[in-house]
Amino acid sequence: MQSQILSWITFLPLIGMAVVLLLPKTAINAVKGVSLAATFLPMVLATKLYFVDFRIQTAAEIESARQFDILAAQFTQQVDWIKSIGAQYYVGVDGLSIALVWLTTILMFVGVIASFGIEKAGKAYYALLLLLAVGITGVFVSLDMFLFYVFWEVMLLPMYFLIGIWGGPRREYAAIKFFLYTLAGSVLMLVAIVALRLDSGSFSIPKLTELAVTGKLTGASLPMHGELLGMQFSTWIFWFLFVGFAIKVPVFPFHTWLPDAHVEAPTPISVILAGILLKLGGYGMLRACFPLAPDAYHEFAYVLAILGVISIVYGAFVALGQTDFKKMVAYSSVSHMGYVLLGMAAFTVWGMEGAVLQMFNHGTSSAALFLIVGVIYDRAHHRDLNGFGGLSQLMPRYWALTTLGFFAALGLPGLAGFVSEAMTLVGAFQAGDDRFQVLVLISTLGIVFTAAFLLYAMQRVFLGKKNAKYDGIEEINFREVFCQAPFLLLCVVFGILPWYLLDWMHPSVQNLLNLLKAQG
Amino acid sequence: MGNPYLDGLNSIAPEIALTITALAVLVFDLVVKGRDSVRAGYLSLAGLAATAWFLFGQWQSDAHTVYGMVSIDQFGNFFKLFTVAALAVVCLFVMHDRRERKHGVGEYYFLLLGAAIGIFFMVSTSNLLLMVLGFELLSLSSYSLAGFHKGNRKSAEAAMKYVIFGGLATGIMLYGISLMYGLTGTIDLSKMATSPNLTLQLSSSPIPFGIATVLVLAGFAYKVSVAPFHFWTPDVYEGAPTPVTTFLAVASKAAGFGAMLRFLGALFIQSGPTAIGAYGERVGTMLALLAAITMTLGNFAALRQSSMKRLLAYSSIAHAGYVMIGIACMSREGFAAAMYYLAAYYFMNLGAFGFVVYFEGVTGKDTIESIKGMGFKAPLISIVMVVFLVSLTGLPPTVGFYGKLLLFYEGWRDSTVLQWVVVIAALNSVVSLFYYLRIAKALFLSGTSEREAPPAPVLTGFVAALAVATVVFGLYITPLRAWTDRSLDVFRTLTGS
Repeated sequence: MQSQILSWITFLPLIGMAVVLLLPKTAINAVKGVSLAATFLPMVLATKLYFVDFRIQTAAEIESARQFDILAAQFTQQVDWIKSIGAQYYVGVDGLSIALVWLTTILMFVGVIASFGIEKAGKAYYALLLLLAVGITGVFVSLDMFLFYVFWEVMLLPMYFLIGIWGGPRREYAAIKFFLYTLAGSVLMLVAIVALRLDSGSFSIPKLTELAVTGKLTGASLPMHGELLGMQFSTWIFWFLFVGFAIKVPVFPFHTWLPDAHVEAPTPISVILAGILLKLGGYGMLRACFPLAPDAYHEFAYVLAILGVISIVYGAFVALGQTDFKKMVAYSSVSHMGYVLLGMAAFTVWGMEGAVLQMFNHGTSSAALFLIVGVIYDRAHHRDLNGFGGLSQLMPRYWALTTLGFFAALGLPGLAGFVSEAMTLVGAFQAGDDRFQVLVLISTLGIVFTAAFLLYAMQRVFLGKKNAKYDGIEEINFREVFCQAPFLLLCVVFGILPWYLLDWMHPSVQNLLNLLKAQG
Repeated sequence: MGNPYLDGLNSIAPEIALTITALAVLVFDLVVKGRDSVRAGYLSLAGLAATAWFLFGQWQSDAHTVYGMVSIDQFGNFFKLFTVAALAVVCLFVMHDRRERKHGVGEYYFLLLGAAIGIFFMVSTSNLLLMVLGFELLSLSSYSLAGFHKGNRKSAEAAMKYVIFGGLATGIMLYGISLMYGLTGTIDLSKMATSPNLTLQLSSSPIPFGIATVLVLAGFAYKVSVAPFHFWTPDVYEGAPTPVTTFLAVASKAAGFGAMLRFLGALFIQSGPTAIGAYGERVGTMLALLAAITMTLGNFAALRQSSMKRLLAYSSIAHAGYVMIGIACMSREGFAAAMYYLAAYYFMNLGAFGFVVYFEGVTGKDTIESIKGMGFKAPLISIVMVVFLVSLTGLPPTVGFYGKLLLFYEGWRDSTVLQWVVVIAALNSVVSLFYYLRIAKALFLSGTSEREAPPAPVLTGFVAALAVATVVFGLYITPLRAWTDRSLDVFRTLTGS
């Protein structure tokens, strides 16, 4: 059964980009209009796909769908692409990716609106933004490793230019650092993909997963005969893929590109970077790393958990010491993404679901936080946390929104972050391995630090004595509220009704766990 | 059939067409007293078109040998068409490059066409004597071309270095060939591959044959700038006129690889699972190590260059290293991957040099500094340059990515040594990204330049077409792939597999 809906969602921005490039440089309003349309339509399609068309499968349905494709993906489209190497245009979504596809389309739409203030070379900016949308959506829907890799790399170049041309003072450094880090990870990924293809004869992710979980992906047919330097084939594959994804997440110690990129990137790009780009790493692990090397996943789960805990605690601790508002939020991302890794390493239903949920919730809450930083930066032209004071008296509405965003980020019960963080921690606590319980205890330190740095920032910027310099500062305007509203709304909604995400992902997470268990 | 000599002429029609063109350009130049570069250029292009037409005429013909020396087959055809296509672009560059219009343009085209004749014979013979003759014809023409700017010190220095290194390399190669002749009693590669003397020799001691092989390969390594025979490359590339650099980087390098592939293919692959064929695997291991050294050296040296031509010179060394992965596989599939990469290299490197030619015309310099902020002044050529840079780095969706993927694929399949080389190559791509991005950074990330960029519609249009090809062949791979596979059928004939 061929469905074209995902191709539309993925490639509508590309059509938009072509139109933008054809428009004259002066018709900036037309460029904005086209970009808006080219991100709005995918959002509508993805929303409909999520709430109306997507089928929440029962265990029995998954079981029968697995005959065709072990991931039980929906809305698949499979077309031969490069026959000589067996690469296909193969797309589809399951419970793991559908929510992230939806989030991507929302973020890209808001990203376009949030960009309306950008004046320099508008045409090029929107063209690159739309190309970025194609790359990101493409990664989430790809079910073919070759296609996955192509989309994965396609998004690097637009990101490089978006940071490098429209960024802050140190933009050149930040842009190239981002590019080099990500590429360093992904070339090893490419080597792993080539090795998988050679051993299995296929690029198809469901097919590779099937072979891997039945223990047939051993590298025996390669010159290395399944072993190199005393390490199993699957171990090599695992680490090559893992490092590529870990750099993207970013997991400690690969995180240092993130604060630089965030600080220099213009606000809308920070939003997209934190909101979805980081999720590509976590998603990649679930889709392409763990299932393709299940042995190594079980063997090194505790290493991943340790890295996750270090990210949680270290990220939050470093955030506490920041004086730059944006850098603080950037380090909070490192901390929050640590929960994702911890949850995934736990190999429990709660941990895994909590991890995916945390990815979605971090997407909304961090997007809101970066928009909040953007509001104040546009007015004061600096982000020094110590340079403000008493803003709550001058900008009460802005303060209210910020408070909501901060509380969502620090995991206040009733807001989305709480549910997912609690789930990952409980999930990790339940893990079969005793070491995880200690790790969970340590990671609770991260929660304390997170609360501390957010409240400390709140105190310095909004409370205390009024800074006379900002007396005439303009209150948050309608466009800015309009950009933040969807994310804050989602934080509230999924804090109270998390099953609107959980129910969607549960069958697929259960399926993934069963697949991994088959080997373990 | 009739007179074998006349039939033979039919088979070498492309070479004859090329020779006639070269002479015609020379005579034309005498008539107009060296003052009409544009029409001399069109004349050369017409001659190249005729040559291409004859080459397409041989598209379906079976492999055969004329005069006992020249092999007409699809493998040679691949490299000949490659040369013609590259030369056509170089001619366009020459016509655009204003500085070339001052002196002796006719000789310029004549030398380029002469070099092409050398390439034609070099890639279409399994007779080592003819191969060396073609090799020398190419080299001699290249020496004069490198020093074409007579008044320019750098150009003269480039030519001098090129001559000295070239003379040395040819000497080494000839010595290797003489050893091979001594071991086998023949200078024909196909006969060597089945030589009973050689088999006997290998069973007692492989060392003499090993030395001979290494010496011959040294000559090729010089032509394609593989370490440790790469030292001339940056100086010559920088000093030579940019169209000549383009010719050296694309056509001459491909020709060197063509001859190397012919040498290794005819000697080791055709001999199949014999003692000689088995020896080929050892040669492969050596080439794999050279590949790793070459790419690493080229990429790291390129990091700190300020001249774009020098940067592209080191980048071309690095790319020679990548191609060597395919050659080191010592298999038809590996060779096919190497040839695919050369085809990819054609598009992306010609495009990159077109960019340099354009900006040399605008600023008079080839430094990265000089193009700062020009991205918004000359948007089209700058954007397509980014496409070439992406392709040179090996990122999808470009032809350079697919070429690299194929090389990785064949390398991983071949041996554990090459597996490591592939990992090194992958990490090398990251290093290369850094210096390629320096050009993109200078173009777009450094504000906007005050300088105006005059339009050059023909050159820009042509370079843009190369960029389109770079992307299209990155997404639609089948035709190029089929062509390289077909070209290598010639190496299957003797093994009977």
